Amino acid sequence: MFWKMAAGALSRQKSKHILIAFTVGLGVSLATAMLGVMFDVGDKVNQELKTYGANLTVIPRGASMAGEKYEFAQEGGGEGGAGVQEGHYIREDDLHKIKMIFWAYNIVDFAPFLNARVETSAGPAVLAGTWFNRRLSLPTGDEVSTGMMPLKSWWNLEGREGHDSDPSGVIVGRGLAAALGLSPGSEFTVMTRKAGEKRLRALGVFESGGEEDGWIIGTTALAQEAEGLPGLVQKVEVSALTTPENDLARQAALNPGALSRADWDTWYCTAYISSIAYQIEEAIPGVRVKPVMRVAESEGAILEKTQLMIILLTLLTLLCSALAISNLVTANIMERSVEIGLMKALGAGNLSVSLLILAEMLAVAFLGGAAGYLCGLGLAQFIGRAVFGQAVAVKTAVIPLAALMVLAVTLLGSLPALRALLRLKPTEVLHGR
Amino acid sequence: MKMTKESNGRFLWRMLLFSLARRRSRLLVALFGVALGATVLLGLVTLCYDIPRQLSREFRSYGANLAFVGEAGSGRLSLEALARAEALLPQEALVGLAPFRYESVRRNMLPYTAVGTDFAKVRRTSPYWRVTGQWPAAPGEILLGVDVAEATGLSAGSPFPLDGRNSSQSRYSKEFKAVGTVATGGVEDGFVFMSLPDMEDMTGEAGVADLAEASLTLDAGGLARAAASVRAGAPGVDPRIVARVSRSEEQVMGKLTALVYLVTVVVLSLTMICVATTMMTVVLERRREIGLKKALGAGNGRVVREFLAEGLLLGILGGLAGSFLGLLFARLVSANVFGRSLTPEPWLIPVTVAVSALVTVTACLIPVRSAVDVEPALVLRGE
Repeated sequence: MFWKMAAGALSRQKSKHILIAFTVGLGVSLATAMLGVMFDVGDKVNQELKTYGANLTVIPRGASMAGEKYEFAQEGGGEGGAGVQEGHYIREDDLHKIKMIFWAYNIVDFAPFLNARVETSAGPAVLAGTWFNRRLSLPTGDEVSTGMMPLKSWWNLEGREGHDSDPSGVIVGRGLAAALGLSPGSEFTVMTRKAGEKRLRALGVFESGGEEDGWIIGTTALAQEAEGLPGLVQKVEVSALTTPENDLARQAALNPGALSRADWDTWYCTAYISSIAYQIEEAIPGVRVKPVMRVAESEGAILEKTQLMIILLTLLTLLCSALAISNLVTANIMERSVEIGLMKALGAGNLSVSLLILAEMLAVAFLGGAAGYLCGLGLAQFIGRAVFGQAVAVKTAVIPLAALMVLAVTLLGSLPALRALLRLKPTEVLHGR
Repeated sequence: MKMTKESNGRFLWRMLLFSLARRRSRLLVALFGVALGATVLLGLVTLCYDIPRQLSREFRSYGANLAFVGEAGSGRLSLEALARAEALLPQEALVGLAPFRYESVRRNMLPYTAVGTDFAKVRRTSPYWRVTGQWPAAPGEILLGVDVAEATGLSAGSPFPLDGRNSSQSRYSKEFKAVGTVATGGVEDGFVFMSLPDMEDMTGEAGVADLAEASLTLDAGGLARAAASVRAGAPGVDPRIVARVSRSEEQVMGKLTALVYLVTVVVLSLTMICVATTMMTVVLERRREIGLKKALGAGNGRVVREFLAEGLLLGILGGLAGSFLGLLFARLVSANVFGRSLTPEPWLIPVTVAVSALVTVTACLIPVRSAVDVEPALVLRGE
C-alpha cells in the first residue's frame, strides 16, 4: 500500500517533481563541481606557482653563497687542479639521488649548474654548464627526464635550446649575443681557462631580464672541460611541490633534532620545504640545501589564500543550493494540505503520512542528485580544463558529501512544513480554509 | 461589469495586496529564494571585482618587480635622483622602495660585503626575509646573513667591528653590534646589513646607493609605463623590470583570475536557475486561482499583468534584502581571506535589484503563460 501510494504520487505530480529533481540536480552539480575544484585547487595552483622557478638550492657544504658570488672561496680549489677540494663541488653522478628521496614525486624539476669563466672577443663572460634535457635511469627502474628550461619559465628563447649530447651547441644571453653579433645558428669562439680555444654554435638567444643576459649556457660537459673539473657541478636548483609551512615546520627548520619522535615523523612525512631539504641533504653527502625564501614563503601565502577563498566560495555555494532545495521542498509540501487532510480523514496516522511524503521527496531528490552529480563531474572538468588546461582529479570523498547534503537538505526542508501540516485539522483543510 | 481605466488600476493593486497578504508563508518562500539569489549575485560579483586587486597585493610577497640602477657609465645611483624617480611612480600602487648600497669591508682581515639599506622599506618590498632575533632599529645595529653567522660562529648580541677604505682611499673603522640573522636562501645569506645612515657615517660618503628595488601592484603594462615615465623624468636612474617576478606573476595571476571568473559565472547562472525554479513552483500551485479569475471574466492579459506586478515586487524586495546580505558576505570573505576591508561598488546594488527583478518576472511568466491557456473549467475541477 505504502509503495503503491508513493509511486502513485510520483507519477501523478510529474511536472512539480521534475522541477524539484531539477533543482536538486542543479544544487548537487554545483556542490560536486565546487567540492571537486576545492579539493584539487591546492595541487593545481601549486603547479602553476612553479613558474617562479626553483624553491630549493643545493650547494656544497664548503661553499657559501657569498663565495659563489665573489669567487674568493673557490679560488684555491679551482687552481689546485688535482687537489680539487671535494667540499667545494657536488658530484654530478650523485644528482639522480634527488629523485629517490621520500618525496621524490614532489620534485618537479632540477638542474645542476657549473659556472666557468671564458674570454670572448667582447671581453670576459660566464659560461654556465647545465642540463638541457637529461634522461636519468634510476636504480629503482624508473626513468625521469629533467632540465633547466622548465625552471626558467620567464625566459624568452629565440631559436632552439641545446641538447645534452651536443657539447658545442649553446644558448647565448641577449646582451652578450648583441655584443658578439650573434644570431641563432651562428658560430663563435671562446677562450677557456683549461681547455684552450673552443668553437661553439649559438643554437638560440635568450632574454632573462637578469644578469644571465650576459652569459653563455651550455652543457655540463662543456663547462667541466673548460674548468678542468670532470664530473663536478657547483650548485643544483630544485623545484618541488611543497605544503605551506606551519609552526611545526618552522621549528623543524631551525633544528630537526629538537623535535619529539612523533613530531619528527609528522614533519618528515609531510612535504614541507624544510623536510624535502633535509631529505636531499640525507641523500647526497656533503651538500647543504637552502630553501629559496622568496619563492617558498610566497608560495605558501598565495596557496593558503587561494584555498581559503575557494573554500569560502564552496561553502557559500553549498549553503545556497541547500537553501534553494529546502525552500522548494517546503513549497511543494505546503501546497498539499488537501491531500494530507484527505489521508488523515481516511484514517492515516501522522507517522505514515510523514513517511510517505518523506519517501517521495527523498526518491525525487536522489534521482535529481544522481543526475546532478554526473553533471557536476563534467562541470569540474570543464573548469579544470578551461583554467589549468588539465583535468581536475575529483576525490571520491565528494560522493558521500553530496549524498549527505541531499539527504540532510531534503529532510530539513520537509520537516518544518510537515509539522505545520500535521497540526491542521482534516475537516478544516478539506473545507478549503 | 464595465470598468474605467482608473478603477481598473485600483483593482489591480487590491488584487495584488490581497494575493500577497493571503499567502504569507508561500510569499516568504519566494522572497527568501529571490533574496538568496541576490545575495550570491552581489557577493560574488563584488568579490570578483576585488579579488584580482587583492591577489595582486599578495603576489608582492615575491619581492620587487622594478629595480633601479645607476645609468650605464655614470656608475652609482644618487639618492637625490632616486627620490625624483620615486615621486614619478604611481603612489597608490607603490608598496615600497628600498635602496641598497654595497661596500667591501673587512673584519679581522677577512673580507665581507656590507649592505646599507632602509630596513622599514625592506620589510615591505621583501616580506620573505626570515629574520631570527631582531631587526636593527638603533644606530650601530646590524643584521648578519646566516652564512656569515655560521662562518664566524657569531649570533645576535655579538660585537662586530668593521673597517675598510672609502673611494678616496682614506681608512675607516666602526664598531657594530649584531642584533639578528637573516635567511633568504639567496645571496643575502652572505651579506652583512646595516642602515644607510650607519653606512654613510662609517664611510664618510653620503647620498649614493647602488641599487633600489620597488614593489608595485601593477600588471606588465602598468610596470612598463611606470618604467618609461621614470626613464623620461628622472635622469641618472635606469629602471629595469624584474622579468622573473613580473612575467611569472602575469602567468599565475591570469590563471587565478580566470578561475575566480569561471567559478563566479557557473555559480551565478545555476543560482539564477534555482531562483527561477522556486518561483515557478510557487506560481504553478496557483493554477486554480488563475482558472477562477478567468471564469470570473478576467482576460489573459489581465492575469499575466497581475503576476508580472507581483513578480516585480518580489524581485525588488528580494533584490534589496539580498544586496544587503551580499555586501555583508563579501566583506566577511575579504576580511577573513585577505585581512583587508573592501570598498563596495555602489552601482552594483541597482544592478543586483534589476537582475533579481528580471529573473523573478521571467520565472513567473513562463508557468503563467502555460496556465492561462488552460480551460478554466478543467482547472477548477481539479485536473
